[in-house]
Amino acid sequence: MATDTLIESDLDISQLVDKPWVTIVWDDPVNLMSYVTFVFIKLFGFSQERAHELMMQVHTEGRAAVSTGSREEMERDVQRLHEHGLWATLQRDDKI
Amino acid sequence: MSAFSRDEGIYSLDLTIDEAHILINLVEQLLELLGEGDFNHHYNESDPFAQLMAQLKAAPDEVVVPEDPVLLRLLPSAYADPEAAADFRRYTEPTLRGKKKRTLEQVRKALEIIVDEDRAGVVDDLDGEVWLMAINDLRLALSVRLEINPESFDHFESLSDEDPQKPIYAVYFWLGWLQESLLNLLAQG
Repeated sequence: MATDTLIESDLDISQLVDKPWVTIVWDDPVNLMSYVTFVFIKLFGFSQERAHELMMQVHTEGRAAVSTGSREEMERDVQRLHEHGLWATLQRDDKI
Repeated sequence: MSAFSRDEGIYSLDLTIDEAHILINLVEQLLELLGEGDFNHHYNESDPFAQLMAQLKAAPDEVVVPEDPVLLRLLPSAYADPEAAADFRRYTEPTLRGKKKRTLEQVRKALEIIVDEDRAGVVDDLDGEVWLMAINDLRLALSVRLEINPESFDHFESLSDEDPQKPIYAVYFWLGWLQESLLNLLAQG
């Protein structure tokens, strides 16, 4: 029946593929604002404006999501942020 | 006061002999905390920084969450979940630790030339990004021991000149100033 077909195609495909992961940078009282901006530009290729905006989000809200992607990609980003002394973690993107 | 400078793309740092000693002592103490001890260090054990930086507990043989808060700040957990964090640490922490040691070792070698000749001098043709990361790690390490918070600068200014903590705070804020001078040059591209 036509309605059965409709129900079958209504499967939630987000259950079948990996949900994206996200890299979070947390605020700390030590890293200079200019340093955090510099690291964002260096590691992610952001424009000066975008890097500054994310740095301010970390500073005022205590955290900011700086990248999204597969778990492996986010692990790489976290590792590079740790190399530069930023406090970063990764988690599943719960907004999706 | 000494600062970084750049001439035709070549970075250099002009240091007094006292500043060179302070820097190399901090670098060597942090290298030792990270598990690198294959050099003759320049500080003596009564150095206030040496006492400040001395490791809280011997490093364990296996890769686990560090007990020393300085090491935990430099080698943080990547996941909130302890099990995922432990797995990630097992695979990646030796690499991270090794990179930090190599960065500090590069800075140590450059400073050693000045310190061993016991003269004020210029560290010439240095790698700006390497020095930037090394100074940042020194600031992070000191900040943990000093428990730096947004009110720390006011606290520093309120300390009397006789307070034994005052010179340590002074070095912490000097490093921030030094880092900012280097960032200004690097940001110009």
